[in-house]
Amino acid sequence: MPLRLCTLRCACILLVILPQVAWAQERTGTKPGFVLPPRSATILLIRPTISVGAQSTGGMFEPDADWTAQARENIAAALTLAQTRLGNQVIVADEPVGPAAQVMAEYRALFSVLADSVMRYQFFAGNRLPSKKRKGQFDWTMGPGVAEVARGTRANYALFVSNQDQFGSTGRKFLQVFAAMAYVSVKSGEHTGMAGLVDLRTGDLVWLNADMAMGGDVRTPEGAKKRVAQLLEGFPGSAMPASQTVK
Amino acid sequence: MRWFCAILLAAAQPALAANTLVAAHVPVAVARSPMTVTPDCEWNRMGARPGRRSESWTIDGDGLNEVTFYGGIEPDRTLFREVDKHSKPLPRFSRTMLLTDIPALFESSYRIALNTPVMTIETIASARFLGEKGVAFTYTYARVDEEVRRRGDGVAAIVDGRLFMITFDAPAIFFYDRDAPAYRAIIAKAAIAR
Repeated sequence: MPLRLCTLRCACILLVILPQVAWAQERTGTKPGFVLPPRSATILLIRPTISVGAQSTGGMFEPDADWTAQARENIAAALTLAQTRLGNQVIVADEPVGPAAQVMAEYRALFSVLADSVMRYQFFAGNRLPSKKRKGQFDWTMGPGVAEVARGTRANYALFVSNQDQFGSTGRKFLQVFAAMAYVSVKSGEHTGMAGLVDLRTGDLVWLNADMAMGGDVRTPEGAKKRVAQLLEGFPGSAMPASQTVK
Repeated sequence: MRWFCAILLAAAQPALAANTLVAAHVPVAVARSPMTVTPDCEWNRMGARPGRRSESWTIDGDGLNEVTFYGGIEPDRTLFREVDKHSKPLPRFSRTMLLTDIPALFESSYRIALNTPVMTIETIASARFLGEKGVAFTYTYARVDEEVRRRGDGVAAIVDGRLFMITFDAPAIFFYDRDAPAYRAIIAKAAIAR
């Protein structure tokens, strides 16, 4: 009887741990055949989408304006340092005004939705869409209209960056502890980061690095540097090391 | 203790049902109903169902393109699973509803299910669907905390007192225009076994 109880407990613990292991499986994808030799292209860096806040006891995201402002400043500084090591010329996109600002905002938002789909339906093997399962496939696009965000520049590619950090509230942390006692998996805090390179001729996503468990506290300069290094890990044409890739 | 268990259940990571491939040019029954469709390209059937008598298909993920089939919603039933039955109950299909009431039912269901105030029915027109008199409508909406504008189309008919409907939505940028023809091909070949 004690042995059966022990087996049951082990099974429960595995059930708690396994979903998180599954989420961590893959985080980088590259379009088959895509290579970006150093000094061959101009990359337009789009202003990152950043949102920081707390995760309530029930798991709702509660944005925090101060934390978000700190993170924007820290990530911008870290990106300025990192862009010199990307292997190709990087130009920073101007903040457009008028109708162009609307177009830019919509494409930045669309990138977040696209990258989220890649994470959920291709990187996470347990929920992969059958049409995305074929070996070596990485077929994602935001359409050729994305070239509009680079009008007037000589850019060949656009680099989109999106971050959302939810820091677990005290209530959420308590819930996590009590849930663990009942062998139920509850996450406290979620730190999602996505960086994607888009071919401006076709709109195809040629490289994506995305993870729902990013490191680095973006509210501090050091944490933001760590986050940006993780986001640009394995960036095509750069000397940054490659991370786990799509199989 | 009851509240604690409720939060625990809500917060626990949900088990994921497998997504399956829907082949092109092969008739397939949808939403556990007598409605069949014949898509002209490959789709993925989502493992998670939005309701008891509905199912969703997608090409690239439900955030980028999604067709939802409602296979005979019975009177006094909702289109989707309740999200907050006590404080925000979903509207129910009623046997006294006219075809012209269906877009409003869909609009208020979406507003509650997606918790978004940004949902508008743009056009309503009569249409033939499943060999019956039906209603076609278009809509726009945005999900909460998201700046992506989405467009959608729907077509519905009431057959033997039950609501049959197919809807499609996608981001207004690129995806709607690219994938709407595949949705229209599904509508064109939708049939119901009697």
